Amino acid sequence: MKTISNLLILSTILSSVILTGCGKPEQSAETNAPGGKQITVAVMPKSKGNPYFVSCKKGADDAARELNVKLLWDGPTDPDPARQNEIVETWITRGVDVIAAAVENRDGLSTALRKAREKGIKVITWDSDSQPDSRDFLVNQGTPEDIAFTLMDEAARVLGGKGVFAIITASLTAANMNEWQKLIEQRRADKYPQIKMAALRPCDDMKDKAFAEATAILNANPEVTLIMAICAPAVPGSSEAVKQSGRKDVKVIGLGLPNDNKRYVREGITPSVILWNTENLGYLTVQTAVAVAKGQLKPGVKSFKGGRLGELEIKGDNVLLGKPFVFNKDNIEQFNF
Amino acid sequence: MKGKELLRFETMLACVLVLEILVFSKTGSNFATQGNLFEVLRLSTEIGLLALVMTPVIITGGIDLSVGSALGLCAVVMGKLWRDAGMHPALAAVCTLLLGAAGGGLNALLITRLNLPPLIVTLGSFSLFRGLAEALTRGVDNFTNFPKSYLFLGQGYLLGVVPAQVPIFAVVAAGVWLLVHRTTYGRAFRAIGFSPEGAGYAGIPVGRRIALVYVLSGLVSALAALIYVARVGQAKADAGTGYELLAITAVVLGGASIFGGTGAIHSTLLGVFALAVLKIGLTLSDQPAELAGILTGALLLAVLMVEAVARKLSARPGRISSANVKVTQT
Repeated sequence: MKTISNLLILSTILSSVILTGCGKPEQSAETNAPGGKQITVAVMPKSKGNPYFVSCKKGADDAARELNVKLLWDGPTDPDPARQNEIVETWITRGVDVIAAAVENRDGLSTALRKAREKGIKVITWDSDSQPDSRDFLVNQGTPEDIAFTLMDEAARVLGGKGVFAIITASLTAANMNEWQKLIEQRRADKYPQIKMAALRPCDDMKDKAFAEATAILNANPEVTLIMAICAPAVPGSSEAVKQSGRKDVKVIGLGLPNDNKRYVREGITPSVILWNTENLGYLTVQTAVAVAKGQLKPGVKSFKGGRLGELEIKGDNVLLGKPFVFNKDNIEQFNF
Repeated sequence: MKGKELLRFETMLACVLVLEILVFSKTGSNFATQGNLFEVLRLSTEIGLLALVMTPVIITGGIDLSVGSALGLCAVVMGKLWRDAGMHPALAAVCTLLLGAAGGGLNALLITRLNLPPLIVTLGSFSLFRGLAEALTRGVDNFTNFPKSYLFLGQGYLLGVVPAQVPIFAVVAAGVWLLVHRTTYGRAFRAIGFSPEGAGYAGIPVGRRIALVYVLSGLVSALAALIYVARVGQAKADAGTGYELLAITAVVLGGASIFGGTGAIHSTLLGVFALAVLKIGLTLSDQPAELAGILTGALLLAVLMVEAVARKLSARPGRISSANVKVTQT
């Protein structure tokens, strides 16, 4: 008996140690610049496994190649604020030129980012912001108004102007999620008073959790006929839940990646998927980071030439990527990310 | 015999650590600097604290799987007491420490009074503590904006160079070292690890000694929670997920037998630093973070294998004691 339990302990330890280690190491771009000190750009996604950030990385790699900078792309495997802090702190010790972080926990990471600035490292944020005094610029994938209003307008269109919907978000602590949700509510109250929101549930940026939450919402609130998923893994997760529930009257819309949602768009469960171009977001992040590191982009500037993206607007300290895009049955097949 | 075996383990681990340092000094940027030395100490404090108190638990032949969850629960309770109950951070910290000790006490009670196996008991409290933490915050609440004076514990630097948590780590390490290696308590732990019945017949209060290691484990988990919250600047229910396994890895890497009886605090510290240097060294060498997981696993297995082979080679007829046979199963 003792031997069995001991073996159990050992195998638990060993398998977890090995499991934690699963995942393929990735090499970063370019190494040697012809003469002069090469700029090292450290970019952190919220979680490396999320396909949203995987597709951002493609654009980031492109920009790093164009600008001939060394790109470090690292972050937690799951959205883990403590791990983000650790990685930023190690980057400070390593001495990178500029850090671009997609922030999971606003207050938590801001202290680490401030510390980086004290050590002379330039800091920008992208995708999700930290406290404004801990960074120079935010690369903004779309103003919260644009995104939230587009989502709510699409929801109203799908519901036909009246009905009940539920929201699945990534986490109730992420700054951008909270802001979108508030603005969605504002738009609903202003323009669509006949539509009601029944539930708001977090899915921790995980598809299986979104599936479980969506199933729970459908069981608890049978009057819900639309699920709005405002983080990438939640859209296919919710669509799968709707599909398995057999409810033909329930639709899913949300912020997501075209490839994740193609089959549900074809099947008619998901009438529309809303997003910006994630590759361009990663690309612009590295472009902005390098410009800040070189001192070309300073506070007060009104526009910025973002490489292949052309001239982009800067609103305050936000570098804007542009208007969100609606993927639907007619256009989704043209996109592959 | 035991001492010798442990010494061999330590030498090997020390070599691994030196090798890591040599390699990363070459490949990493700013690896061999004073700043990084303190950074390694700073980032290994929480796991280090857990591993320190895990060592006596494992020496008694037990295991405590609940430390990571206890860390999460204590972090959340610290946040709740400070923000929602309006307590002064110092008072909230004291209450959190008491809660940690009480959590360890619950483990101790079930293990010693009901004679349940530690693996099962702490597997239960592993879920219980994490579940309570999630219930208290409904899984989403996140405590932030702690006062500067408290955050200093995890983010501050004494005299501008020494991270504030390092002296705490040093004091706890010294305390546990003395307890395990210089008191009759430590001898009792080892005796219990080899044979609880035998220890009982030898007049050792087995139940009380076992209770002590689990209460200590709970108390120090709470201390680790306080430092964690101050370092990260937030308290959320998922704090410390998986830390119990990292702590156990460090202890086993340090040569402690998972079957009890052997183990040393200084070897555990070597194990903690071997893991921390590996993790930080890889990032400084621009390698992705998840590579640390692979290498940690490989390192643990390699050290265990080399040890097993070395023991087989040196084993001669007539020298196999019962204790030795026990260890062979590892």
